[in-house]
Amino acid sequence: MSVSRVAEEGLADPSLPRDNGALVFDAPWQGRALAMAVLTVERTGRQWDDFRRHLIACIDDDPERAYWESWVVALDRFVHEVGAAS
Amino acid sequence: MSDDHHHPSARTPIEDRVDALEALLVERGIIDPAAIDAIVEHYEHAVGPMNGARVVARAWVDPAFRARLLADGTAAIAELGFGGPEGDHMVVVENTAAVHNLVVCTLCSCYPWPVLGLPPNWYKSPPYRARAVREPRVLLAEMGCAVPDDVEIRVWDSSAEVRYLVLPERPEGTDGLDEDALAALVTRDSMIGVARL
Repeated sequence: MSVSRVAEEGLADPSLPRDNGALVFDAPWQGRALAMAVLTVERTGRQWDDFRRHLIACIDDDPERAYWESWVVALDRFVHEVGAAS
Repeated sequence: MSDDHHHPSARTPIEDRVDALEALLVERGIIDPAAIDAIVEHYEHAVGPMNGARVVARAWVDPAFRARLLADGTAAIAELGFGGPEGDHMVVVENTAAVHNLVVCTLCSCYPWPVLGLPPNWYKSPPYRARAVREPRVLLAEMGCAVPDDVEIRVWDSSAEVRYLVLPERPEGTDGLDEDALAALVTRDSMIGVARL
């Protein structure tokens, strides 16, 4: 399978939890949340940074919250932003 | 990813939220569930340093494979089922008692994804890209990889055309290990050449 440049950028996000270079997921929903962010950026013609801004803001909002939970909150905001604009 | 077999009591609010977002995205025609599954599958199972580690372990136990790997990296790696657009032209460089190989991409971040997964963040950093060429021995020492003075360091500049993979030396004292156990010893960093096993 080939991935687009946008997808590469998203999947290489330096904040993603890793072990020896491989992504680390504790539960299946985390992998799905990652894939959904990548696909939403890609299919709506956005930039990875458009999602990443939300992710950074969500982590800042609540630094104690688990990483992937912040990811989902960011995805929710991003999806609604994209939805509102389309 | 069927929803039919879930036990409602075992689900968490965050899972419900992910499901709801997926449903919304699918309903709007932005994404389709198969695409999600494909990405998840790819990055959970198909890609990662373990692919490269299996290539290295095979080369350690099978001299004929090792010879094919060094002669034509792409073809030998494909024998194990790994390959794809980011691994089209693989060249494998072998560490020996006299030579230590180091891989960099001075222009951007070309990297053999099908065998090593996602590139580490430092691989893309300008200091790594510049210093790997200018002062590799000093850089490696700073990264915790001391290369003896009598060992030559060869630096390989990856590009869109050629992607390099380092074949590390098999560690001493591993004669009794089988291929799986050997693969578990091989780290991503050793296949980039910033670590020795």
